[in-house]
Amino acid sequence: MTDNSPLVREFMEKGRSESCPIIDTHAHFGPFQGIYFPTVTAEDMIATMDRCGVQKLVFSSHASLIDPRRGNPISREACAKYPDRLYAYWSINPNYPELIPDDLAKFEHEPHFVGFKFLASYQKYPITGDNYTPVYEYANAHRCIILSHTWGGNSFCGPVQVEEVVKKYPDMTFLMGHSLSGAWDDAFRIANDYPNAYLELCGICHHGGVIERMCEVVGSHKITFGTDLPWFDPHYGMGCVLFSHITDEDIHNILHRNAERLFGWQ
Amino acid sequence: MDYCDVAEALVRHAASSEDCPTVGNPLLCDEIAAHPRLHGTWAILPPQTDELGAPEEFLARMKEHGIPALWTFPDKHRYILTASLFGGLFDLLTEKQIPLFMPISANSGGVSGWMLADYVLRDFPKLTLIVTNHGSWGQDRYFRGLIESYENFHIDTSRHELDGGIADFCKKYGPDRILYGSNYPFTNMGGPLLALAHADISDSDREAIAGGNLRRLLGRVTL
Repeated sequence: MTDNSPLVREFMEKGRSESCPIIDTHAHFGPFQGIYFPTVTAEDMIATMDRCGVQKLVFSSHASLIDPRRGNPISREACAKYPDRLYAYWSINPNYPELIPDDLAKFEHEPHFVGFKFLASYQKYPITGDNYTPVYEYANAHRCIILSHTWGGNSFCGPVQVEEVVKKYPDMTFLMGHSLSGAWDDAFRIANDYPNAYLELCGICHHGGVIERMCEVVGSHKITFGTDLPWFDPHYGMGCVLFSHITDEDIHNILHRNAERLFGWQ
Repeated sequence: MDYCDVAEALVRHAASSEDCPTVGNPLLCDEIAAHPRLHGTWAILPPQTDELGAPEEFLARMKEHGIPALWTFPDKHRYILTASLFGGLFDLLTEKQIPLFMPISANSGGVSGWMLADYVLRDFPKLTLIVTNHGSWGQDRYFRGLIESYENFHIDTSRHELDGGIADFCKKYGPDRILYGSNYPFTNMGGPLLALAHADISDSDREAIAGGNLRRLLGRVTL
């Protein structure tokens, strides 16, 4: 192995690093209809986190993405078993707007929940739709974090929709889940133009050269790390970051420092 | 490869898929000639158009150029991957144990991916077929049946991202049917590398996936 930093070598040798504790900002939990998961329980998730040196993980249970009334309590239960390791996003289903006031009222008193999760393209409702407005207003007023699935070319959560909401609600933090996959130039422009918009690596870090390009065009201070766990082995995404041609400072920013700052875990 | 500590690689030329194999195959030989760590592969075409010669001639040229494995891109090169087109060639590949690589995106007349692999292997059940780049969503529900049905069917690790997936597979099937692959430069080489390096498997299983399995497959080729 040539030219690798001690940090990269440490990860290769041990699979983890004391000086670089990973924070996963985009994960899930529980069974999902489309995939066989070998690691599906909270205990499995913690074992994977220990194996990979993931200190904290923020997730939305798969159940919560379909039925928040059933799924958010599942998220809460997992977090309660592993406080300080597992945190959750409160999932919103915009197709049931009558439930959202209750969602917001509950969220205020839920210590394990540290933000909101949107999955607009799966729920077939645009992130610019009126049903989301109370959540944006709450998030903007309380400077909350929203993690939204975003994808290039998607009319529910594509570049046009993302730009509209980050512009309208500048005090919330908007993690562009999957970084508008494929619409890289739009993602980079939005991350550069709007201080509250962040790139996020889940499911897209495998693209050859994309991480280097993000660091070059936007800067590593605007990128967070995510794995969709239990979908993706954190080592896969970590390897993509570690073996990109970026600096150790970039690696620290992406793998933990930005998340520590955003979630107040410094 | 130096940056990631990869010793050797089985490679194809981008022109073998994005251009015609009659262009890409010779280009590959020219471009890797000075790089002994790179081992070449070629792409196939239906023998009936004589672009790559009759199967026996094609294999003779493979031997001449030290090409131990092949790729198929049926949709890009506009053919169907059936016995009526490829029977003679695939019988020879089977006899000489020459591996055939197929990306999961391959489409043959509307049949694609795992279904296409199953169709090919139904006609040529002993063919060494490696399906690559199978995507980030866990695919075990698709490919485990193929593993159980066809002894020379393999997958690669280039997009094998499923958490615990390699360990879970090895626990049930052993390590022999997975090959380390990166799909570089389309895909970052480091992802599958770190995932394999720290998969919860034995060192001997890891060594098999990292290179032992491919060396074994190539070692049995008789051109």
